Amino acid sequence: MHTFSEDPTVTTCLELQREEIRVLESIYPYCVSTSEDSSKVMLKLEIPVELGDAKTVHIVDDGSTSVASGSDHDFSAVTLSLSSLPPVLLEVILPPTYPLSDGPLISSIHVVDSWMPRYILLHQQLQEQFQPGEGVLYTWIEWIRNAEFLRESGFLTSNKNAEIIRLPHPQPQLLFPRLSEHDKNQQLSQFSQNSYTCSVCFSSRKGAQCLLLSCGHIFCRDCLQGGWQLYIAEGDVEHVGCLDSSCVKEGREASEEEVRRVVTEEEVQRWKWLRQKRMFERDPTVVHCPVALCQAPVPQPSETVEEGSGWERLRTCPSCNYSFCSFCKRTWHGSLVDCPIPLSEKVILEYLEHPEGSAGRRVLETRFGSRNLTRMVLRYQENKANQQWLESHSMKCPQCSVQVEKSHGCNHMTCAKCKTHFCYRCGQRLSVNNPYQHFSTPGQKCYQKLFDASELGEDDWQPMEAYAIMEENNVG
Amino acid sequence: MSDARLRRVNKEIADCKNDKSSKIVIELIDNSPYHLRGSFTGPEGTPYEGGHYEVDIVIPESYPFQPVKMKFITKVYHPNVSSASGAICLDILKDAWSPVLTLKSTLISLQSLLCSPEPNDPQDAEVAKHYMTSRSSFEETARYWAQAYAGAPGGGVKGGAKGGERDEIAIAGLEKAHVDQFEALGFERGKVIDVLRRLNYRGENVTKISEDKVVQELLKN
Repeated sequence: MHTFSEDPTVTTCLELQREEIRVLESIYPYCVSTSEDSSKVMLKLEIPVELGDAKTVHIVDDGSTSVASGSDHDFSAVTLSLSSLPPVLLEVILPPTYPLSDGPLISSIHVVDSWMPRYILLHQQLQEQFQPGEGVLYTWIEWIRNAEFLRESGFLTSNKNAEIIRLPHPQPQLLFPRLSEHDKNQQLSQFSQNSYTCSVCFSSRKGAQCLLLSCGHIFCRDCLQGGWQLYIAEGDVEHVGCLDSSCVKEGREASEEEVRRVVTEEEVQRWKWLRQKRMFERDPTVVHCPVALCQAPVPQPSETVEEGSGWERLRTCPSCNYSFCSFCKRTWHGSLVDCPIPLSEKVILEYLEHPEGSAGRRVLETRFGSRNLTRMVLRYQENKANQQWLESHSMKCPQCSVQVEKSHGCNHMTCAKCKTHFCYRCGQRLSVNNPYQHFSTPGQKCYQKLFDASELGEDDWQPMEAYAIMEENNVG
Repeated sequence: MSDARLRRVNKEIADCKNDKSSKIVIELIDNSPYHLRGSFTGPEGTPYEGGHYEVDIVIPESYPFQPVKMKFITKVYHPNVSSASGAICLDILKDAWSPVLTLKSTLISLQSLLCSPEPNDPQDAEVAKHYMTSRSSFEETARYWAQAYAGAPGGGVKGGAKGGERDEIAIAGLEKAHVDQFEALGFERGKVIDVLRRLNYRGENVTKISEDKVVQELLKN
């Protein structure tokens, strides 16, 4: 081989080769490595495959294993969207006569993760591109890098709207995670290398100092931190999200992962607490622990109890273990005992204030159960009607509190139970010896009211005349 | 943090100076970059056309993470602007504020608010009622205000622009005949204007509100 070094052609070729390699190394600093011995130059090219905008990639079962094993075809094809594919590795030997007369020799082709079958065609296509006198390495790299080789070997096809890549593979479900992981890493490293202008501070930052949010907006970490820290400190949890105006209007909030990447652990904890608090405030089934020092939110128990059984009122505070009734907020009084009326009355009154079918009613129905409420309302209304009737049609005995209804007669009553004399009009206790003083003394509020006007007939009885006759009958 | 705020505000003021196309002006009032005055012209095809509107701008401590405070210095007759204080009702000045919004973009939003009032979310209920009752009468009043306070060109105002004698009936958006009618009953002119304005005595409402009702209101206090 030593004879060649004397050959002027060989000397020119070597110079041309070195020039070409220098250019390639400056354009693709990470793709080219060379080694040289006395007779030949060896090149290793690692060529990334870039698809530009994300393209649909179908990985289809090539049938080689499924036929042999007879396995089912459930996973015969998978589809994913990628903007890059794992690199193609080329080992190339430049003969002494390259590029003037001979082309480079390809000593090996390997595709990382073996996503492409059949290298023979690629090998052939590469060699066909060589024309004596011209360096071909740049053309090769570009042809692979921009995925043109996939089109020419029929893996990439275009229809009207989109370009689709179809890759036959023995085990699509095994290739799938590798391609998707490679693409993710590739995008990440590309993101770190690019520069972005943060639209909050208007400064240009390297991707590594920025964060790409799930909505696609990019902000520098300093600005996200400044905003989110402020919002978390002020309890403004709605605004811990994308800072872009359209996303703010949509209320797009950050994910936990995004928040973790920007603020301190302590702030993450507060953010989570704020979110939980908000969730509880929005959830009508959540009540707060009635223990003044606790007040922890107590969600509805997850196991379902039959509505109307009484057990649905039981809540146990997860924080202090206090068991209480969610209706009256008192210590648990068992499923069979009704709540003390005044407290449940508050709920019922609130419920009745809202019109039927309104959101306000639905909130209470979710909290207390609609059947429960209906029952309580019925009972409440019945009680109330009773109360009203008793108030308008009866009088309470001032001694024993029994309600007494007067069917007819004068207003001097003697309680059937305790024999107390009292006035049916005002409820005042009357003297046993002279009960009619109450009705006959001028200036007293029931003066001349022994009989109600409505009960006086056409005879126009005067009260003072009547009492003696009615005395025997007037026990209610 | 406060450095970032200063850098951003300075950048915004500079950007606005360099951009002649938007016709939005931001100036310093004193030496502080946190208290500014913005101005823009009333949008074409609206009653505010030709007017020069000045806005008081206060930049809060936590800007741009919290919204800039803006109110009109120039009096504006608009449902979403208080006719008394110049306070503005606009979502991006409150909940919908985003840190990517700028002084300039916010002033542009104010300008477009003048084009498209939102009477259902009013800052000034009386003006909003006027807008809903009679659009033409509302626009007449808004135009009169633009001429009287914002220096918009136009014939109606005696003495032309600012400082000239103003017609208090036109400012209240009322008709002279109506005011005269009740003034003739012996009520003070200022009071008649006040009551008729409060009652929204305009357009169709004139037939709906009885004279007795007006007199009743006039006799109060």
